[in-house]
Amino acid sequence: MADDKDVLRDVWFGRIPTCFTLNQDEVTEREAEPYYLLLPRVSYLTLVTDKVKKHFLKVMKAEDVEEMWFEYEGTPLKWHYPIGVLFDLHASNTVLPWSITVHFKNFPDRDLLHCPSSSVIEAHFMSSIKEADALKHKSQVVNDMQKKDHKQLWMGLQNDKFDQFWAMNRKLMEYSTEDGGFRYIPFRIYQTMSDRPFIQKLFRPVSPEGNVHTLGDLLKEMYPTALPNDGEPKRYQVVIHGIEPLLETPLQWLSEHLSHPDNFLHICIIPTPTD
Amino acid sequence: MSSSVLDEQNFHHCCRLLLQQSEQLKDGWSWEAVQGSEEGYLRKTALRSVVTDSRPVWDHEGSSSESEPHTPCHTGLDQSGLVAPVDADSIEGDIDDEEDEGEDEGACTVSEGSSQVLQYEYHIVYSCSYCTPVLYFRASTLEGKSLSLEEVWSSVHPNFRLRLQNSPLNTITLQEHPLLGQPFFMLHPCRTEEFMRPVLQAAQDQHRPVNYVLSWLSVVGPVVGLDVPLKYSTQLHPTASLSSTKPD
Repeated sequence: MADDKDVLRDVWFGRIPTCFTLNQDEVTEREAEPYYLLLPRVSYLTLVTDKVKKHFLKVMKAEDVEEMWFEYEGTPLKWHYPIGVLFDLHASNTVLPWSITVHFKNFPDRDLLHCPSSSVIEAHFMSSIKEADALKHKSQVVNDMQKKDHKQLWMGLQNDKFDQFWAMNRKLMEYSTEDGGFRYIPFRIYQTMSDRPFIQKLFRPVSPEGNVHTLGDLLKEMYPTALPNDGEPKRYQVVIHGIEPLLETPLQWLSEHLSHPDNFLHICIIPTPTD
Repeated sequence: MSSSVLDEQNFHHCCRLLLQQSEQLKDGWSWEAVQGSEEGYLRKTALRSVVTDSRPVWDHEGSSSESEPHTPCHTGLDQSGLVAPVDADSIEGDIDDEEDEGEDEGACTVSEGSSQVLQYEYHIVYSCSYCTPVLYFRASTLEGKSLSLEEVWSSVHPNFRLRLQNSPLNTITLQEHPLLGQPFFMLHPCRTEEFMRPVLQAAQDQHRPVNYVLSWLSVVGPVVGLDVPLKYSTQLHPTASLSSTKPD
């Protein structure tokens, strides 16, 4: 369907205008100007910020530079979460551009994973894809792929090549018609109200009786707090790629069209802003 | 248990059994629950005397560490377990050779390099994606300084290191703990089913009950210095220890 393919493109090409400012405690040889960048929602911070690093290194001495890390209003940003998820979770109802602070010292290793090279990002990305396929197809599709096919998925993401990525990813989105959908839906529900980083459990797209499960059904089972009580105003927003899909949307459709390149449906529950 | 996967209910059941035995053996495991739910994980801390030797793997060929036959953290477990499909005979044969029953401290007594006492914290968490347990751990010096991935690697016995390095997905990586959100090292679970299958099949053929978590732990634990005393299995089958030397 032409409309559905448009959704895939819109998801892939989503961008967040961001302003990177150097942490004022960093030692610089002269004043550092902020750096502006459009960040892809579906990529990872450490994959797309080489230019940011180069920009700030111009005003710093090598001995004052350790592993770069990012923070938003005091919260260290987890590079291994897709950029769009970080934004929706921490900054979605704020004025653009998104203001991120850049650090080169005091890496918070109790909060953040180290990211010494892009092969670490690749390993993490491929690990997510494999886990998603374990849920969708008992790993059959991903294990049938060759090493070069896996590489194509990674290169597609790294080089922002939609067609190259989807030529391979479409195989991971297939299912037999008699099943009516994937075996289980790969999803993660994020919230900032408790310490738990995310909720991820087994959930089928279709009930044993043959009823199609919706986004609302998923939340009712996994995080009922997110759902509004009858007659009460909405306390929380359920956000995927910066939008609030209708709760009646079939989960299988969401998984096929609004998943991230890692094949997971990342869902953010954020308190409704009180203006 | 007829399949080589573990559902969450069975995971909880195996953990409860393991906990009971741990209490009797004073092995230090506890169950940590996630606030307000039935979910949780097994936890244990241990001090480990480790030789932090950062020489690359190939320098270890012919070093004195390889001529130490009874180093508990590798004896009897130098099998193709973690990377390639496991031959049931090789696991059982190797475990039969294990003679250090009394030694349940994961002390790698390798004579080269400098020795350090480290604090390890091990978590056993259930993965619903792979239907297996997963081992997470972190390590720090006694002063509280966290170990880096390189330092953790250098404390893995060279025999295990070679195996793990050959297959990047079956190796030790830094991951976010799924329940706590903090960085932990993790042994990747995607090959667990492969090495557990022959173990479970053998147990089924011999009509022996098997504790999936315990068997799994006895394979993966020693790689990262977590020893599982044989008394766990002899306790389970007091008569089996007379008729057969095959532990669970």
